[in-house]
Amino acid sequence: MPAYHSAFNGDPSVRQVGNTAVLPINTKIRGPAPIAGDPSIPDIIEESLDLFRANCLFRNFEIKGPADRLLIYLILFISDCLTKLAPTPGKPSPGYQEATKLLSTLAVDTFALPGDAGFPLNSLYHPPASRQDADYFRSYLTQTRSELALRLCDRLYPAEQTLGPDGQPTGQLGPRATKPSKWWMAFQKRR
Amino acid sequence: MSRQPPLVIDNGTGYTKMGFAGNSEPSFVFPTVIATHQSASSGSASAASSGGRAPPPVAGKPSHLASKRGIEDLDFFIGDEAVANSKTYSLHYPIRHGQIENWDHMERFWEQSIFKYLRAEPEDHYVLLTEPPLNPPENRENTAEIMFESFNVQGLYIAVQAVLALAASWTSSKVAERTLTGVVIDSGDGVTHTIPVAEGYVIGSSIKHIPIAGRDITYFVQQLLRDRGETAAIPPEDQLRVAEKIKEDYTYVCQDIVKEFKKYDADPYKYFARFSGEHSVTGRVSGVPSSSTDLTPSHLLFAHRRAQNKFERFLANRIISVPQKYDLDVGYERFLAPEIFFNPEIYSSDFLTPLPEVVDTVIQTSPIDVRRGLYKNIVLSGGSTMFKDFGKRLQRDVKAIVDGRIAGSEERSGSLMKSSGVEVNVISHKRQRYAVWYGGSLMASTPEFYNVSHSRVDYEEYGPSLVRRFSVFGSAV
Repeated sequence: MPAYHSAFNGDPSVRQVGNTAVLPINTKIRGPAPIAGDPSIPDIIEESLDLFRANCLFRNFEIKGPADRLLIYLILFISDCLTKLAPTPGKPSPGYQEATKLLSTLAVDTFALPGDAGFPLNSLYHPPASRQDADYFRSYLTQTRSELALRLCDRLYPAEQTLGPDGQPTGQLGPRATKPSKWWMAFQKRR
Repeated sequence: MSRQPPLVIDNGTGYTKMGFAGNSEPSFVFPTVIATHQSASSGSASAASSGGRAPPPVAGKPSHLASKRGIEDLDFFIGDEAVANSKTYSLHYPIRHGQIENWDHMERFWEQSIFKYLRAEPEDHYVLLTEPPLNPPENRENTAEIMFESFNVQGLYIAVQAVLALAASWTSSKVAERTLTGVVIDSGDGVTHTIPVAEGYVIGSSIKHIPIAGRDITYFVQQLLRDRGETAAIPPEDQLRVAEKIKEDYTYVCQDIVKEFKKYDADPYKYFARFSGEHSVTGRVSGVPSSSTDLTPSHLLFAHRRAQNKFERFLANRIISVPQKYDLDVGYERFLAPEIFFNPEIYSSDFLTPLPEVVDTVIQTSPIDVRRGLYKNIVLSGGSTMFKDFGKRLQRDVKAIVDGRIAGSEERSGSLMKSSGVEVNVISHKRQRYAVWYGGSLMASTPEFYNVSHSRVDYEEYGPSLVRRFSVFGSAV
């Protein structure tokens, strides 16, 4: 049983740039991305966040469709984010507010597109066909990355349940954690 | 005259299990190791000359008092005592890869295990020994020679471990008929074997080995802990032991990794567990969850806040209580650890075939007329198959492979042929840990055992070549 694939692979109606899918997402951030029809259905961002920890464990990944390429790209971006937030000697991990800021900056930072020199998986991704496509793709990715960064922060800093006097959880949500969840940070070193 | 119960001795690479036939558990389980005074080099030299009996040991230290009296070959320990004396003696493992490599050590090992541990007179008992599949007949002869000539046993039967594991599965309620046909998945500490057995005979050409077993799971748990930074709390000398303990006490097999991750996210309090241990240097009884109550759900906790509170309390306690304690969270390794059987990719980079696929290959390479029986009876044996739901998951995965193949061939036949389907059954039972020994105990307690084993009279008549003849029994039990 190999690694987990995207559920959007089979959809032929999706627009492609190069050979990567441009999938609709749920977001409030402005950009050219198609908006997903039903917000209750998990979009590609939700999917990458769910599959991130499982797929991180696998060494090989067989690309089965255009949506998988987007999935891998987003998973690699998540792992970039975690590296960014990891504590280094002399500098502990940032809090929720700061992390959100940090990751948003990272998301809109300049990054390589398929076909550019710095892109990590150039052999597997076809470059966009035209200049116009490339610009569109870049702004789509920027938008997706920003949305992903926001949602990742929500998951990394879960609201803690307040503990009763007996030390047992009371079921009420307390303030957000001050450090990124170690259950996520553990996966930063992999892949 | 009432007969004494036969002795059942299962000498494994790692551990020796021994006891009396008819019991449900071995009386003694200890490492198959012998501590002698001779230097390690002479031991390996005799191991190199495998095939024949090793020459008698040469006294390593002439100045030693015992050597002057000529009794230095009595100066040895076996099992746990050997491990305890490893500082002053050198340790030898007489069995490598399931086969006896050093006959002199093995003879002495048997001697002490029968006289000192079982406290039995071998001349009053029949003995059931076990051998790995594909054991050369010369090894059987050597074994018989030692058993009859050194110990003068009443009778001897050498059984194949996989066959005994099959017999042990008869205790499971899932088993309808008692057959000696099936696939045995034997996973111990070092290596996992999948062995097909047809009517009591091992199909040697189809045996497959998987280089993933208990020790690898322990390493994997340790690696996960280290990735998460939990190991900072554990003293370095305890890390492996803690990982082992977590493996034994907390792990289970999940049905789907992603779903399992989600479950943990949704209800962390239910799934994340805590482990507390004591420093082995200060408190010898460490490693165990500090009390049994620690395992109850009310004590499973997760929040860092709680952890901090606890930690502060421990800081306060540290001054008073002598054994230092440490706590760590047990998380995803609970289901990821046994997952390396089903997705070896997440652990090793050179072995990538999942266990269900190996089982399927083993059965597919066996003769066609036994395949149905093999699919129907997949039996687990050994400590590393004890994970919760291991059998269920294996059955589901093997079934998926088989069903996929059937669907494919039906389609290729143009949907003209319909298969009646193949029954896939994975049998797990209560005696899995010492399945081989238990199977031996079961077999040796039947009256038929005395008919199939080789008696002393026969041995005196025919000599060691007697044991080349292999008689299966149990089909009528």
